Order: sequence, then C-alpha cells, then structure tokens
Amino acid sequence: MNATGQARAARHAPENPGQGRDVFAYLRSGPFGGPTPAVAALLVLMPVALPSSTMATEILIFAMATLACNLLLGYGGLLSFGQAIFFGAGAYLSSLATMHLGAGLLPALLAAVVSGAILAALVGALAVRRTGIYFVMMTLAFNQTAYFIAYTLSDWTGGDNGLLDVPRPPLTLFGAALADLSTATSYYVFTAVLFLLVFIAVRRVIASPFGSTLIAVRENEDRARALGYDTRNFKITAFALSGAVTSLAGALYAMLLNFAPLENIQLSMSENIVIMTVIGGTGSLLGSLLGAGAWVIISDMLAEIWPRWQILTGGALILIVLFLRGGLWGGVESLMRRFSGGGAHHAPDGNPDDAGPPPQPME
Amino acid sequence: MLYLFQVLNGLGLGMIYFLISAGLTIIFGLLNFVNFAHGAFFMLGGYLCWSLTELTGNFWISLLAGPPVVAFLAWAAEVTLIRRIYRLPHTFHILVTVGIALILQETTIMIWGPIGKSIPVPDGLQGFVTLWSFTYPTYRLFLIAFTSLIGFALWYLLERTRFGGLVRAGSESSEMVALLGTNIHRLFARTFALGVGLAGLAGTLSAPIRGIHPFMGPEVLGIAFVVVVIGGMGSFTGALLGGLLVGLVQSLMSTIWPEGASLMIYGTMAAVILLRPYGLFGRA
Repeated sequence: MNATGQARAARHAPENPGQGRDVFAYLRSGPFGGPTPAVAALLVLMPVALPSSTMATEILIFAMATLACNLLLGYGGLLSFGQAIFFGAGAYLSSLATMHLGAGLLPALLAAVVSGAILAALVGALAVRRTGIYFVMMTLAFNQTAYFIAYTLSDWTGGDNGLLDVPRPPLTLFGAALADLSTATSYYVFTAVLFLLVFIAVRRVIASPFGSTLIAVRENEDRARALGYDTRNFKITAFALSGAVTSLAGALYAMLLNFAPLENIQLSMSENIVIMTVIGGTGSLLGSLLGAGAWVIISDMLAEIWPRWQILTGGALILIVLFLRGGLWGGVESLMRRFSGGGAHHAPDGNPDDAGPPPQPME
Repeated sequence: MLYLFQVLNGLGLGMIYFLISAGLTIIFGLLNFVNFAHGAFFMLGGYLCWSLTELTGNFWISLLAGPPVVAFLAWAAEVTLIRRIYRLPHTFHILVTVGIALILQETTIMIWGPIGKSIPVPDGLQGFVTLWSFTYPTYRLFLIAFTSLIGFALWYLLERTRFGGLVRAGSESSEMVALLGTNIHRLFARTFALGVGLAGLAGTLSAPIRGIHPFMGPEVLGIAFVVVVIGGMGSFTGALLGGLLVGLVQSLMSTIWPEGASLMIYGTMAAVILLRPYGLFGRA
C-alpha cells in the first residue's frame, strides 16, 4: 500500500469499530511497543558505556533536535535549514526566563516549547507559501534573519559572547522540590526521561492520521491536496511540532553548558542538525538517535586532535548520498536483513521505515 | 550627497549580488540543480585573489587568473561527482553541495587560517574621483562599470551566441537538445563551470572592498537566495533587479540603521513573499 493509501485508510479506519486493536498488536506497535523498550534500555546503558554522562546528555539533546528535523525531512519531505532558529530561541528564552524572571525548571522549559512552536508556526507560515527548493532557500534565509536578530539584540543575548552563567534550576513541581539536577548524572536522568517522552510522542504523531497525511504530502503534494487535505496547514503544524521539540532541546543544551552561545542560532547549527539526521537515516527515528550519537562521539574524539574534522562530515554527506541513502540506520537494517534472510517487515515503498509508520494503519 | 554616495555603493553591491545570483540561476535553469556550495566558491574567489595578489603583487593578474581557477575546480567537481546525482531529487543535490561547501570552507581554514584578511585596493584605482563637490572612491566606480560590462557580456553570451542558445534550449528540454546531437554532458559541465566562475569573479571583485574570511560563504549564500526568491530562479532579469534591490536596501539602511542593515535584506524578502508569494517577476 502506498503512502497515500495509508492516509486514506487511516482516515477511514475509525469507522470500523469491529477491527479494534488487540493487546498483543498494541504491545508490538503501540507507543510503548516497537523500538521503545530497546530505546529505554539504551538510555540506561548509555551513561555506563560512554566516557561521561555529560556526553550521553549531549547525545540525547541533539537526538531530540534530530528527531524533530527527521519529522519534517523524513516524514514530511521538508528540508529545513532553519532548525537553529528554534534551537537558539529555546536556549535564549529559557535562559532569560530563569535569569531575569526567576522561572523554575519546568516553567522555563515550557516557555521554550511554547515559544518554539509559535516561532516555527510563523516561519513555517511564510516558508510554505513556496514549495521545493524555494522553501529550502527561505528556511536558510530565515535562519540568517534570526542570527542577525540575536546578534543585534546583544543586550539580551550577549551577542558574540553569548549568555553566560545560565542557571540549571532544581526540578520542582508545585513548590515541592523533587530533585536537584546539579550533578551530571541527575541531569542525564532528567534529560533521558524527557527524551523518552519525546520519542514516544513523535512515534505517536507519525502513526496518527496526521502522520500518514504528512507522508502523503511528502509522496505527492498535489495528490494529497486533490484528496481534500489542506496541505499548507499540515506543513505548518508539522513545523510547529518540530519547532517545539527543537526549542526544548536548545533549552536543555543551555542548561547543560550553563551557557547559551551565539553558535546555537547560527546556520552551521542548522546544518549540523540536518547532517545528523541524514547520516543517521531519514524516515527512521532510531536512525536519529544513531546519527546524533555518531556525530557527538566523533566530534568529541576528533575536535581535540584535528580542529578541521568537519571536512570528514562533508565527505560523509557526499558518500551517503552516493552509496547509502538510507543513512547509517538504513545500512544496519540491510545488514540485519541479509543475516536474517528475510525482509518481511520492510516498508513497501523502499524507505527505511522501521520506527516509522507501520505498513498497516493502527488507528 | 550622502544618499547619492549610498546609492552608488548600493549599485556596486547590487551588481556583485547580481553576478552571484546569475550564476546560481543559470545553473538552475539548465541543469535543474541547486548549488548550495555557491557561497563557498565565492569565498574561494576572494582567497585566490588574496594569494595571487600576494604572489604577483598585481591585482589585475589575480582578476584574470582567479575566476578561471574557480571555474576549473567547479568543472572538475561536475565531471567527477555532480553529474552522477542530477537524476536524484533536489534534497540530495542540496546535501552533496552542502558537503562540498563544508570541505571548501575547512580546507580554506587549513590553508589560509581562520582569521580574515584584507586586500589592498589595486594600484591605479586607489584614489577618489571628484565631480563638482562630490567625491567617490575610484575602485567602487570601476566596480560598477566593470560589473555592468560583465553583465552585458553575459547577456550577449546567453542571447546571441550558439552556446547561449544551447543553454536556453536545454533549459526548456535538455533531452531534446541531446537528441538533436549536442553533447549534453559537455554543455552541462561548461554551464556549471560558468555559473560557479561568476561566483568566483564576484568574490574576487568584492575582496578589496569587504575583505575576506572563511565563514563568508553561508552569508553570501543567504543573500543570493534572497535575490532569487525575490527575482525568481532561472530568470536573468530577475537576478539583475533582485540583486540591485537588495544591494540598495542594504546600502541605504546602513546609513539609517547600521546594525539592522543585514536584517533589512531578509525583511525585504519576507515582505515580497507576503505581497507576491512567487517573487516580483514570478508566475505561479
């Protein structure tokens, strides 16, 4: 069944109450099934296997931003070179909220999420007025706009120096102190819980009728519009969701570093997020975790000994387009298929959709 | 007087933007290929200008030799890599050229260092031209005249020569041109080299005014995108008028609100997109 068929089926499925989901199918493919337990196990292993839990936290933060980019690129077919707008805005706004308004942890993160969604809806509303390459070029131009705004408002953002001494408030809920996040491990646990929630939420969004429609837009926007979908609104909504998650990642990053540098909102950050998404594999949520992990670990290993290691990222991008269009996760999948001998669970349209939409709609 | 000064500055800047965007547009028109490494090649033009001027002590040699070197590198990239990916969707064009831009930028830092450089205004064009009570830097005047000449030559090349005819015919249907017996691979490679060479030329010409630094690629790319979003991809006139508009806006704003001059470029784009979503000269 092609993607448009999925969208149509997803729309009609609720009208067949007789086909209720049984418990085992739900466990296999529901929000807590599929790859989610594996991801949870990985989250427990990561701080042990990696040199430091700070590094593990950094991986999860970038994996969040990559998930959000993947939602747009892998499922909506929307290549955005503007993700740093939301990453940077989340970092600045949550930091300003804690520094000047004395906001607690959760209100500051919430402020980042809400403002990221609003900002992304605005950028999206302008950018989706054009499609194709014009759309991509506009996201890039808007990233430059955001950069110059942040640079100009140096009273608020610290300009070139960045915002210094960003606090990491303790976790409190309704005035009750729950946890002090000042140690690297406790902050990792907090980030890991948020990451798991985001992972489940994005999975849920992709499996929903909204997600199926988004894929229909990716496959053939004219056809989706002809079927009666307001594709522009779908794209703007996808942008808002992506912006909210990216902004959350930016806020968490500022609290991790106790610092919100201007680099957060630079075009190169957008490029890095896109590169992590593509290297990991577009259209696969596990690929996003893999891409962010590979990027953070390699940059950490090489940045010390060879500051110009980004040449390798450029080369990796070219090689992936030439030889491994499914990214690292696509490579892992085809290896697994070769060894297990079967390809039954592979998505029919040739996309590496393991964690993505299942071939059968679930709703 | 101040405004006349800024209008002239804006024209010079606008013609530089026109050269960059025209290169982007010619490539897109014929090859249906989006070159995200365009800004990086512009930067390379500036650095070659610096090195050749240091080496020979003569700006004119670097103006003659630099852009062809950039064009040759582009030709080599087309022949070895880019022609393999034309058939893929635009997303993959973008990813590959972003990769090329990263490699160029990092290599530039390895060769020339991370700190920016300035290039002296060439001999013979250093002073000012005075007309009644108005004085204007000679090099900037030369820039306007020279880029206009290049613009005219480009128009002649595209509209009046056999090569230009093939490029325009290929933009309509490259398959048909190939079927009529033209070596389309060679045409594609030459057009790519020409378009990127224009970016290299723009980089060379602007180096004595604005200096060079390794991170100027993305900045220039962003501006070139604004120009083609305003003027329309594949349109020579659109690139000219869009480039001049952006140059004038940036130059005039820098007297009114210096910090916001760069910002206003993007504000112009947002305004155009809101009022005319398909650009000033675009059709749906």
